[in-house]
Amino acid sequence: MNFVTRRHIPRRSFLKGAGTAIALPFLDAMVPAFAGAATTKSPVRMAFMYVPNGIIMKDWTPTTEGRNFDIPRILKPLEPFREDLHVLTGLAHRTGDGAAGDHTRASATYLTGVGPKRTTSADVEVGISVDQVAAQAIGSKTRLPSLELGCEISRSVGSCDAGYSCAYVNSMSWRGPSTPNPPETNPRQVFERLFGSLAGIPDPTVRTRIEEDRKSVLDSVTNRTRQLMAEVGSADRHKIDEYLSSIRDIEQRIAFPGGDRQVTPEIEKPAGIPPGFVEHARLMNDLLLAAFRADITRVSTLIYAKESSTRSYPELGFSDPHHPVTHHRNDPDLVEKVTRINCHHLEQFADFVRKAKAIPEGDGTLLDHCMLVYGSSISDGNNHIHENLPVVVMGRGDGSLKPGRHLSYPETPMTNLFLALLDKMGVHTEKLGDSTGQAAHLTDV
Amino acid sequence: MRYTSLILVCVAPFCIAQSSPPGATFGPFLAENCYTCHSSKAKTAGLDLEAFAGRASILEDRATGESVLRMLKTGKMPPGGMLRPREADLAAVIKKLEDAFGTSAAVTKAVSGHVPPHRLNRAEYNNTIRDLLGVDIHAADDFPQDDSIYGFDNIADALSISPLLTEKYIAAAEKIANIAVFGPELQPEPVRFDVAVPRRMETTNIVRITKPAYNSMSNYDVTGLSQPGSYHLNYQLPVTAEYVFRIIGAGNRPAGSEPTHCTFWIDGKIVKTFDIPDVSLSGFERRPDTWEARLKLPAGTHEFVVAFPRQFEGLPPRYGGPNPSKLPEPPPLDPERFRAPSTDNRPGKIEERRIAYERAKEQFAHPTWEGLSVTEFDIVGPYNHVKGASKESLQKIFICGDQQPACLRTTLSNLAARAFRRSLVAGEIDPIVKIAESAQRRSGSFERGVAVGIQAILVSPDFLFRIEKTSVSDTGPRRLTDYELASRLSYFLWSSMPDEGLMNRAADGSLKNADVLRAEVKRMLADPKSRALFDNFASEWLEVRRLESLNPDRDSFPDFDDYLRSSMQKETELFFENLVRNDGNILDLIDGKYTFLNERLAAHYGIPGVRGKEFRRVDLSGTNRSGVLGHGSVLTVSSYATRTSPVLRGKWILENILNAPPPPPPPNVPSLDATSAGTSATLRQVLEQHRANPVCSSCHTRMDPLGFSLENYDAVGSWRDKDGKFPVDSSGVLPDGRTFQGPEGLKSVLRADKDAFASALTSKLLAYGLGRGVESFDQPAIRQIVSRLPADDYRFSSLVLEIVNSSPFQMQRGAGAP
Repeated sequence: MNFVTRRHIPRRSFLKGAGTAIALPFLDAMVPAFAGAATTKSPVRMAFMYVPNGIIMKDWTPTTEGRNFDIPRILKPLEPFREDLHVLTGLAHRTGDGAAGDHTRASATYLTGVGPKRTTSADVEVGISVDQVAAQAIGSKTRLPSLELGCEISRSVGSCDAGYSCAYVNSMSWRGPSTPNPPETNPRQVFERLFGSLAGIPDPTVRTRIEEDRKSVLDSVTNRTRQLMAEVGSADRHKIDEYLSSIRDIEQRIAFPGGDRQVTPEIEKPAGIPPGFVEHARLMNDLLLAAFRADITRVSTLIYAKESSTRSYPELGFSDPHHPVTHHRNDPDLVEKVTRINCHHLEQFADFVRKAKAIPEGDGTLLDHCMLVYGSSISDGNNHIHENLPVVVMGRGDGSLKPGRHLSYPETPMTNLFLALLDKMGVHTEKLGDSTGQAAHLTDV
Repeated sequence: MRYTSLILVCVAPFCIAQSSPPGATFGPFLAENCYTCHSSKAKTAGLDLEAFAGRASILEDRATGESVLRMLKTGKMPPGGMLRPREADLAAVIKKLEDAFGTSAAVTKAVSGHVPPHRLNRAEYNNTIRDLLGVDIHAADDFPQDDSIYGFDNIADALSISPLLTEKYIAAAEKIANIAVFGPELQPEPVRFDVAVPRRMETTNIVRITKPAYNSMSNYDVTGLSQPGSYHLNYQLPVTAEYVFRIIGAGNRPAGSEPTHCTFWIDGKIVKTFDIPDVSLSGFERRPDTWEARLKLPAGTHEFVVAFPRQFEGLPPRYGGPNPSKLPEPPPLDPERFRAPSTDNRPGKIEERRIAYERAKEQFAHPTWEGLSVTEFDIVGPYNHVKGASKESLQKIFICGDQQPACLRTTLSNLAARAFRRSLVAGEIDPIVKIAESAQRRSGSFERGVAVGIQAILVSPDFLFRIEKTSVSDTGPRRLTDYELASRLSYFLWSSMPDEGLMNRAADGSLKNADVLRAEVKRMLADPKSRALFDNFASEWLEVRRLESLNPDRDSFPDFDDYLRSSMQKETELFFENLVRNDGNILDLIDGKYTFLNERLAAHYGIPGVRGKEFRRVDLSGTNRSGVLGHGSVLTVSSYATRTSPVLRGKWILENILNAPPPPPPPNVPSLDATSAGTSATLRQVLEQHRANPVCSSCHTRMDPLGFSLENYDAVGSWRDKDGKFPVDSSGVLPDGRTFQGPEGLKSVLRADKDAFASALTSKLLAYGLGRGVESFDQPAIRQIVSRLPADDYRFSSLVLEIVNSSPFQMQRGAGAP
């Protein structure tokens, strides 16, 4: 066994230019932009970007409401885009009892609005997450129903938080109450999922042959798995069924109808996981933008850091791990460090926003057709508060949102916001988790 | 015949205890301590102990009885906040319960648990691919993390499949099949290793290193291999080829030093020496130097080391090292310049100059320097790699020489049977052969047909899952088939598929024979593949897998570099492997007076006389360490980044040594303000709340004393006599009144109840081997295993054999049972 420490994980530098001649790959799956779209209307994209351990709210919350809101320190990088920005205060998550395990609960409830079942066994149970509600409704229009991305490699094993399974922290997206949807953290793998792995094979007959081989392999697996389901006892079938439905998912994706237009990705194939946080986050940003641009998917979650993350950010000049420093007990030095980490995270989001705004699309920009939710499931990390959560929504949802305002809600469930956004995307859902209706005012001026 | 031992032998006292109603024997105890919550009226957590007591015989409700026994024995019940029963009463009740259930399985027949279809976890996938096809690329390292429960990531219930994982299985199958048949097709790529904060020799900032990793400037490792600043890496090269190794070093030597060198070692030999000419600079800036070497190396794991030899030689005479420099030394910085009159007298500036003056004076009196270290190590390659499949792969795959159609069938049948870990049923291989034949037609290549056939095999559920089939209506237990037993055995001891020998024993029916089974177990333990028991069982059981991702505070422990970290891991690995390979006494895990050290780790522990970077067995008599609780790895994973925690260490012991984990803390416990520990109060005083508050004390009186006894080991495992200003008080008092002192006292306490440890280890090893959690109906088997260990001196192989021979291991139960 190779003993490599976390700091020594092979970090493949994303070398530009000299030394690594990486040809722009050809696609193996035919995915034209806006497949089958007869109208000129650009599709609405929805993405949730997450940061953990809470935010120093005094440097986040604008002091004024409405259109002329001030931009506090942490949100400063978004100032150039204030016309596309909704700052929302007053949204909350109810995460059940106050016993230990707060971070795990926060992670599990953020996109679901459901308190997770307290178990360390395999019987995890929470609820379907908002991104998957969207994916199930509109995901068939794109090759990938949704894309889950993350920047934190989970190497640690063992218990996560008193009495709760690690599954609740490893995934924030849930396809169903018991089906976690873990994110991909390796940019190279993401690239291959989006654009195919037949890179560098110039001969189309060879590519076709490989695709046919792959298809026949999948067929045989499907047949055998179905057969096996009948052979095992009823209680064991669900394990085999998990496999069968996954294979069906993949078959559908491969069979996705596209024209003959091939899409060349705008970015080079990454070599692997970059060494630093900023590089990693920005690479994920670029991949998601490429996926949106080529309409490979319209729904995504991007976890910049997992809940209760202990990642440190030496590029900021200090080596304190994130989670412990958020228990600052009001020590001004520690509070300052937390604020700087908050700013650092937000800058990566601002990088995404800036690039999205620079991509012309339809009658505007890609940003115009997006609804990007950036936030955390904890407001005050020192005391583990889940009210008045920090959340901003960037983008106009193709005209369905009227941003450029600070909206303050009376104690309202976060899931009401999600329900409203789903509605604006054309996904009509009665309820999500603990929602009580749709958050108002997002559309009026 | 194996079952005769499991059938209850009705000895008189057993019978009496079993036949008398529980109410008579246990009623008073239950009433006093349990009925508050677990009465028929309250039924907290669904448990009605009044009903239990009212039964005619204690055997009527085994599950409840075993559960009560377990809860009482581990101290989990009564819960935190409730009064504890008198120790004498508790002990008596526990004894009576144990006598009642005895060591037998149920009176009429053996019981066993149900293991659902068991997906290969990542380690198992990697190992199985290696053994099946001779391809060792660790494809599963890119798969999503497996969920772990009961402390292990090989538990069938928790191993689910997501679409992401399925995609990866499919992609991996294609990649592996192509490498196996055609050989790898790799482009040169850089792999980069960063040294996060390079180790410095002596720092010029406020923190001084109090215990450097060397003895003195004239008594140290002159090769530099064990010195701070050296770099150590074990890395697996994918293929025989040329590789470029790039080393980026930094740091400097004092002005006036003689030139020095850096040596690059591969597998214990110097392959290149780089000159470091005069690196004097006026300041203490880092100046990166880059060194490169291009070499051809065979595929496989290699050890790469970068060292700076003779680092204390050639220094200016003022520094006091051996063989001082003969070069002229520029005059040192005169501190007085900071006291010269200045025009800038703003308050901040005066303070700045004062600090600079103090520093310069210190430097003048006790000169220090940054020292040389490695900051980055890159491996770029492979260049010009050997093309074609490896000999090993070809041997495993192509068993018929020609390319006849029949050969395709033979080849794939052979592989499928090995991959599915059983014999194939008639016609089973046909669909796979069909795919392979189409692929062969499409491409015109026999090998291509084989490769696609392999792809189909590797994504088949028969490969990815270990399935011990039970039919729809099955509720009773059945004995495993020989093939199923062989699989359980090999995944238990090797985390991989059965080898040819084991499969042959399964095929000819001889695995049923107790002697044959014993011989196989011994053979498998002696095989190098049994290192999986450390990699996957011990590293999770002892939690040392977490060592990888821990970051002890750099200011408090500047000595803790990655070389120390990897050395700690290696110590525990070798200790455990020694137990397995040489069939040691499992009690050595508690207090074995030996371990395995290299110079770096020995220096860290303060153990003299260990020189060189090789690990060797070291006798610990006369030192203050023994067993795994003296290992730096264990002591570090049970601490925080900045300080020790008796609570964490106590919890570690309760969970891993005694299998009696404490319940989670009550809600709203504020976080501990430990800033005063070591400065104005001892840690013990800061944790006084745990003793004073009755809500806390019921659990903490079990945990804290265990942790306090280890307080002489700091948060990275070095011995200390003082914590800050205060001498360490390592005394402890157990809930039953026994007192003990220090780590040796702790070990005596643990040793005194060695069956508790043996039982804990048995439970954990059993759960790991079964791939399911241990249930109440497994307890008789566990007690029986533990009772047999003393007869063979608690040998590790005995423990494994007893587990393998137990009914939980040899049987599978249908899921239909209650």
